[in-house]
Amino acid sequence: MFRSRSGSWFGGSGSKPKNPHSLEHLKYLYNVMIKNQTVSESNRSLLVESLRSITEILIWGDQNDSSVFDFFLEKNMLSFFLRIMKQKCGSFVCVQLLQTLNILFENIRNETSLYYLLSNNHVNCIIVHKFDFSDEEVMAYYISFLKTLSLKLNVHTIHFFFNENTNDFPLYTEAIKFFNHSESMVRIAVRTLTLNVYKVGDEAMLNFIRDRTAAPYFSNLVWFIGNHIVELDNCVRADADHQSRGRLSDLVAEHLDHIHYVNDILCLSIDNLNEVLVEQLFQRLLLPLYINSLNKGQIQTKSGDRPMVSRVVSLFLLSQIFLIIHHKPLVVTILKLLINFEGNQIMPSGSNHESSVAIEDNITDEEKEQRMSSSTAVSSNSTSNLTSHLETILDCLDPAENDYEALFGLSLLYAMGQNRGVNEDQPFWNTTEWKSILIAKLVLLLTSACQMTSKIRPVTVDLAINLLIAVAIPNPPNHHGLDDKNLAVLEQAKEESIMVARTFFKSEDMFLELFEAEVNEIIKRPLQVEYLLQDSSILLPPTGTPMTGIEFTKRLPCGEVERARRAIRVFVLMRRLSLAISEEVETQLPLVCVQQCIKISDILDLNNSDLIACTVVNREGTRLRRFLVIDPIQLILVEPDSRRLGWGVAKFVGFLQDVEVTGDKDDSRCLHVTVHNSPTSTTFLSDRSPAHRLPQLAARFVFDDHIRCMAAKQRLSKGRIKARQRKMHLIGKILDVNTSTPSSPPPGTLHALRQDSIARTRHALLGRGVPGNLGISAAGTAFPSPFGIRPIVRCSCVLQTSSNNSNPSTFTLVRAPLGVVSHHVIISRSSISSMRIRPNSKILGQV
Amino acid sequence: MSYAYLFKYIIIGDTGVGKSCLLLQFTDKRFQPVHDLTIGVEFGARMITIDGKQIKLQIWDTAGQEAFRSITRSYYRGAAGALLVYDITRRDTFNHLTTWLEDARQHSNSNMVIMLIGNKSDLESRREVKKEEGEAFAREHGLVFMETSAKTAANVEEAFINTAREIYEKIQEGVFDINNEANGIKLGPQHLPSNANTPSGGASASQGGSCC
Ligand SMILES: Nc1nc2c(ncn2[C@@H]2O[C@H](COP(=O)(O)OP(=O)(O)OP(=O)(O)O)[C@@H](O)[C@H]2O)c(=O)[nH]1
Ligand SMILES: [Mg+2]
Repeated sequence: MFRSRSGSWFGGSGSKPKNPHSLEHLKYLYNVMIKNQTVSESNRSLLVESLRSITEILIWGDQNDSSVFDFFLEKNMLSFFLRIMKQKCGSFVCVQLLQTLNILFENIRNETSLYYLLSNNHVNCIIVHKFDFSDEEVMAYYISFLKTLSLKLNVHTIHFFFNENTNDFPLYTEAIKFFNHSESMVRIAVRTLTLNVYKVGDEAMLNFIRDRTAAPYFSNLVWFIGNHIVELDNCVRADADHQSRGRLSDLVAEHLDHIHYVNDILCLSIDNLNEVLVEQLFQRLLLPLYINSLNKGQIQTKSGDRPMVSRVVSLFLLSQIFLIIHHKPLVVTILKLLINFEGNQIMPSGSNHESSVAIEDNITDEEKEQRMSSSTAVSSNSTSNLTSHLETILDCLDPAENDYEALFGLSLLYAMGQNRGVNEDQPFWNTTEWKSILIAKLVLLLTSACQMTSKIRPVTVDLAINLLIAVAIPNPPNHHGLDDKNLAVLEQAKEESIMVARTFFKSEDMFLELFEAEVNEIIKRPLQVEYLLQDSSILLPPTGTPMTGIEFTKRLPCGEVERARRAIRVFVLMRRLSLAISEEVETQLPLVCVQQCIKISDILDLNNSDLIACTVVNREGTRLRRFLVIDPIQLILVEPDSRRLGWGVAKFVGFLQDVEVTGDKDDSRCLHVTVHNSPTSTTFLSDRSPAHRLPQLAARFVFDDHIRCMAAKQRLSKGRIKARQRKMHLIGKILDVNTSTPSSPPPGTLHALRQDSIARTRHALLGRGVPGNLGISAAGTAFPSPFGIRPIVRCSCVLQTSSNNSNPSTFTLVRAPLGVVSHHVIISRSSISSMRIRPNSKILGQV
Repeated sequence: MSYAYLFKYIIIGDTGVGKSCLLLQFTDKRFQPVHDLTIGVEFGARMITIDGKQIKLQIWDTAGQEAFRSITRSYYRGAAGALLVYDITRRDTFNHLTTWLEDARQHSNSNMVIMLIGNKSDLESRREVKKEEGEAFAREHGLVFMETSAKTAANVEEAFINTAREIYEKIQEGVFDINNEANGIKLGPQHLPSNANTPSGGASASQGGSCC
């Protein structure tokens, strides 16, 4: 860091060459250095500036003039850096020196230049120099310097740093001294450096690392991970009231960092090193702390043993391991221990970890060695009559007073199921006899979740369904693994969920909004177990209050509205499951498919449509001349298309169901129209977006006269009611509620046409006849038995411009099962047609 | 050299957009890009003043570590501010912003201030990304935006300082938990309780030194 800009470069001394980038200038600087070998208050700045200039010339020379490096080498100029450093000259000079070196090594591009710089041992001398590391600035520049050097390592340069004869590798050994430094950035730099070192893959160097440093380094690493976990567990225990969430979430993130770091090392596939790492991890962390904690009551702990952690924490940590680490030797070992219980439990050693929780600074190396060897000793007492870990994990899924443990049991099973290390040819559970027990437990859990008063959180339901699908419905279209009894129970559970949802359908005013919001959430943000397990809030006992800031799906519902949301969510998830089992495609949700809607910039044929001219005045007072078009589901503002008479371009679209319209008491030609931001709208913003609460449109519509204004108001109000009725009717159908059929939309509209086309395709796909009524209600018909077996049909129905643009009123309906076959259906002309102009999109989107 | 706060920044973006040059330009003014010699660095620190308070900025460049997930993860988490840089003369660097942003949002703490930087504004003739596009992207994602040139130093100060100002304001509003150093903010010595008798770095260095 050079804070001061020095006005004249050398305090006005002597005749310096005009060109700052030249050999002459370097020679000149050499003389300056020779004359100022002792650092004093008066020449400090001069020296620092000279070193900086030398660096600049070297970088220039690297790119332009090799004679610069020859001179530098000949005069052994790097030794100046070292000589200055060795004089106790304060952190200011040290920082400047380190920064200069950083810049030098960072910007050198030629390998040869680099060799020149490294060719004598000066750099290693700088590395081992005892800087004042208590100065945070010195520390930061020093570790950055080491990291910069590590980025320059390769099979050639490694020999400048690692001396095979003396078994000396200061770059590495000095750096790992700081692996547990209190500054996170320093720790990260150390980790980066270690990874860069391992990556080089020089055999002699790796042998050195393994023989001389691996055991202590990895054991320290594992030791500190263990400390973190004990702290994490304490945090969970102490925090029944959700008070220290910040700390907890740091600890969870920290654990993930550790595991990712371990995984990054394992992924380098350095067998020598990995063996040591796996051994350390397994014997000193995974077995004694993670695995044995599952059934800790059964293991006699001596007073000196490392404390165990609670079962939820242990399940949680194991899930993270399986999600992140796919290194076969490690995960297979854990898996075997978890599922193949042979009454021969490996016990943790009786080692003395008296003060294992406290981080100690002052234990000697011998003490550490001792501890290490004692803890690697594993006794294999045969201890029968113990519950196996597998039983414990499966028992977590049993109905209990809450789903606290169930969520983690599920996540561990799910994580094991997707781990590449343990499922090489086929999912590991296929080879186990407990697969059917697992399925039965999942079915039972779901049954319980579908009850009105269930204490199972939506996220648990989602995960259970994901797991059931993974276990019971294999990818190739084999027969699913559910027997008739399970199928019947699931069908029953789904019926139950329908019943619960139905009670809210009748009682809840906002049911439509809630329903669409939940459906949208489920579609847009499918459960991702990796993300779920990054969320520390699930480690705390389930709570019902939203005041904790915990997401709705990860807690119990609070109040009537949330109970309705839960009911809807559970129903939609169960519906998904049943469709997955019968290998059917969802055709009814979401209620409005985006492809069916008119979008901004669509060009519409408006001949024969009802158009009402108006002036739209928005909040800022901008006035726009537009035509108002009211489609059965949408409000559209169009501008005439200059190229074709009778056609218009959609400038704004909103859903009628979200429209709020009021008259103006002072102006009978004027309406105030607000289109709220609804979950249906394509531009629906997530809660996180600042624009979330803003309506899509809030404007004044001024019409030509009172009559037109009245007509518009009536059509908007009626349109809103009808749009909502129609959707409620669709939901009613899905929930098997008897509702009176709403009046069908006027024939010949775009809406009807679209529903028609979808109905046709669907029925065609299923090889059935087209039922008489092609209106909306056809699309709303539920399949008779969702649990029946049907062929896989994944299709996307999209409306697309016909390839023949000269006939724009023709629609092509493209069906693309898995994107292979496309099927064109020509639908006859209608009064309003939409033509979508999109560059090179063959298939516009998936339903 | 005492400060009221220390803010840790990271600097991210595609390779070649000028991250290292921006960093050096901000932390060390004496490397003037003369004779087409542009120099960069991956770490730097500098003191600035906001509201009469001394604030130290530490900037960590993350280049070259993308291969290691654990490293990127931790970097994001440890920072209070991030400069997300693209090159206005290369559209692809602009197109990749979404990916960078997703990554940043996923790993960072939710209060991290992200500043979007369109760098190389001196190369107007080769511009591929309009300033308006940068502005629109920033608006859409709630970022602060600025075009800079590490070559002419235009707006470089402002970019780093405005980010600091925003972090500072968040501290004033009480959004940041300043006692949690994992957030990339550190209180200066004068803010620490008086019983802290050891210099902040001392204990840690010996802790690190004792192992291996
Ligand atoms: N004209 C001009 N060139 C610049 C500017 N900033 C950087 N450059 C040039 O762009 C190139 C890349 O700059 P760097 O700072 O190394 O880029 P980086 O983002 O650090 O790249 P990586 O370290 O590979 O991720 C160098 O050749 C610089 O000279 C600028 O503002 N204007
Ligand atoms: Mg760089």
